[in-house]
Amino acid sequence: MSEISHVDILDMHKRYPGAMEDSLSQINMKIPAGRKFGLLGPNGAGKTSLISIMCGFLEPSSGSVTYYTKDKRELEGRALKNVIGFVPQEYALYGELSPRQNLEYFGALYNMRKGEINKRSEELLVILGLSEVADKPCGSFSGGMKRRVNLAIGIIHSPKILFLDEPTVGVDVQSKHAIIRFLNQLNIEGTTIIYTSHHMNEAQEFCDELALIDHGKVMAKGMTTDLLAQHGTDDLHTLFINLTGEEYRN
Amino acid sequence: MFKFTTSIKKELIILFSDKLGLTVMFVMPMLLVFIITIIQDSAYKIVNESKLSMLVSNQDEGGQGEVLFELMDASGFFILSQDDGLNSEALERALIDDNQLAALYIPADFSSALISKANQTSETMMSELGVMEASKKRPISVPELELYIDPVLQENFSESISRMLSSYLNVIENKLMIRSVYKLMEQDLDEEAMIDQMLANQVEIVKRTASTSDKAIIPNSTQHNVPAWTLFAMFFMVVSLGSNVVKERINGSFMRLKTMPSSFVMVLVGKMLVYVVVAMLQIAVIFGISMLIFPSLDLPVLVLPDNVSAFVLMSLLSSLAAVSFSLMIGTISQTMEQCIGIGAVSVIIFGAIGGIWVPTFVMPGYMQTLTAISPLHWCLEGFYILFLKGGSWKELFPIIVYIVAFVLVCQAITLSRLRIEKLL
Repeated sequence: MSEISHVDILDMHKRYPGAMEDSLSQINMKIPAGRKFGLLGPNGAGKTSLISIMCGFLEPSSGSVTYYTKDKRELEGRALKNVIGFVPQEYALYGELSPRQNLEYFGALYNMRKGEINKRSEELLVILGLSEVADKPCGSFSGGMKRRVNLAIGIIHSPKILFLDEPTVGVDVQSKHAIIRFLNQLNIEGTTIIYTSHHMNEAQEFCDELALIDHGKVMAKGMTTDLLAQHGTDDLHTLFINLTGEEYRN
Repeated sequence: MFKFTTSIKKELIILFSDKLGLTVMFVMPMLLVFIITIIQDSAYKIVNESKLSMLVSNQDEGGQGEVLFELMDASGFFILSQDDGLNSEALERALIDDNQLAALYIPADFSSALISKANQTSETMMSELGVMEASKKRPISVPELELYIDPVLQENFSESISRMLSSYLNVIENKLMIRSVYKLMEQDLDEEAMIDQMLANQVEIVKRTASTSDKAIIPNSTQHNVPAWTLFAMFFMVVSLGSNVVKERINGSFMRLKTMPSSFVMVLVGKMLVYVVVAMLQIAVIFGISMLIFPSLDLPVLVLPDNVSAFVLMSLLSSLAAVSFSLMIGTISQTMEQCIGIGAVSVIIFGAIGGIWVPTFVMPGYMQTLTAISPLHWCLEGFYILFLKGGSWKELFPIIVYIVAFVLVCQAITLSRLRIEKLL
């Protein structure tokens, strides 16, 4: 598996067909490997569009996203898909299948061998507290349990870059804590994490680098501590309101 | 291979977890087959086996009215009742009041008019042959019968009764004419022998069902309904399989798949394989149960075709057509509502114009042209050829070509859609 050096986003624009305005405009970003990078912004800011383009299932209207390896090669196609993990906001799992069966299915689609899948599944089920329900259909699970299964599926193949779209939305405190703790552990083991969230406290605590997006534009970007210092606040929530305003968003 | 078997395992788990849906897949068509066959079979029996009730008022002063009555009675097509006290108006009222389907009024001059007609015809014939001098030409008197029909009786039915009466009248007229000719010739000959010979030497019509097989199978409600409703149920799979695809789109599995190093084609092939097996099982179960249970319900027996390999191929192609159509609808639909709405309505329309409810030959001309767009029509035609015409490969060939083309079009649309969505 190739070692990722960084992700480069160059002058990216996205306008959906029929839309009057850009959903993303002039996005320029460099995300070094090993970071816990947060994409923050209000509803409709363009976070999901950006993450979708970065994952490769949405085309930008212009500009590019390039993944570089440590030996300065560009990573694309299947080689890129092998190192990317994606945890969507929706529970992208099969309710009729148990966590173990879901992991087996998605692991197989990542071209993993049965033995590899079994070993990794056992690890993940234990870490994410799903061992006791490993063979029960996911359909009957609580939101927090489904989120943990959703996360386990996204990392079954031990990706080098993990994209998470609102991974802790609608879950109980215990599940949120377990998820964040596990993401920290993954990061320590070398996984780059790029995530979106509405929870400012969680983002401030978790992310070492942030980009605040609003109306499709990057309003501020930098290391979390530097950003807070630059804007004279120690609270990401205040910084967020200062930069994005108080009006309601749709 | 592991990827493929895991994909199939996933489809099977999803399929078997919906036990109600699975039961409906098999029970719904079974109920349809049974109910529709029983209903149509009784209608078929009414048309083909039941006798028609007819009230007769015979006012004839000669004997030919009675002869006509006897001929009708002997035919076995009528349940005759006679009330000679009724005039034509009263007979018409009685038809309505007494729950009769038809009534016949034989007028007082029926025999005399028939005899008069026979005499005139025979005189003309004799003079033309030069056997006797031409007599003075008189207008030929034509006897008149009044036939009253219940308005609920279909046009073709009342036409059949008229034709039947005409044929009996021909018999009577021929007899009278022969007697008249013999009388004019003033010869002491055996006229009855001549009459018997003429009637006995009528051209016989042997009824045979067109088939390339040695077995003569008469089309009946079973031979139509069992394949027809099984095909309908197979295509109705669009609701479950189409929804299955839409559900994957909605729950984000499609999105997740886009980030994976595997093609969705493999997932699709897994789905197809599982559902083709389900469709084949539908055929096996519905045909099998129909064969076992229909005789005990006094329904026509389902006789399987001789050409077993063609039967298996037709079943496989029909299953593939149903599954390909379902996948196409599932792939192009954005929501469950779209999928269920478009899928169910299109299958009902395809079923209607494809001859599932009523045979295509009773449809108006433009509708018969439209049947060509219905895959159910072609699949049903294939089963008709197998069940009713012996199932020759030559006859099946155009059907097979059409179904294969339909499958390819559905697959092409599905793959194009997936390509647009970057799932390939």
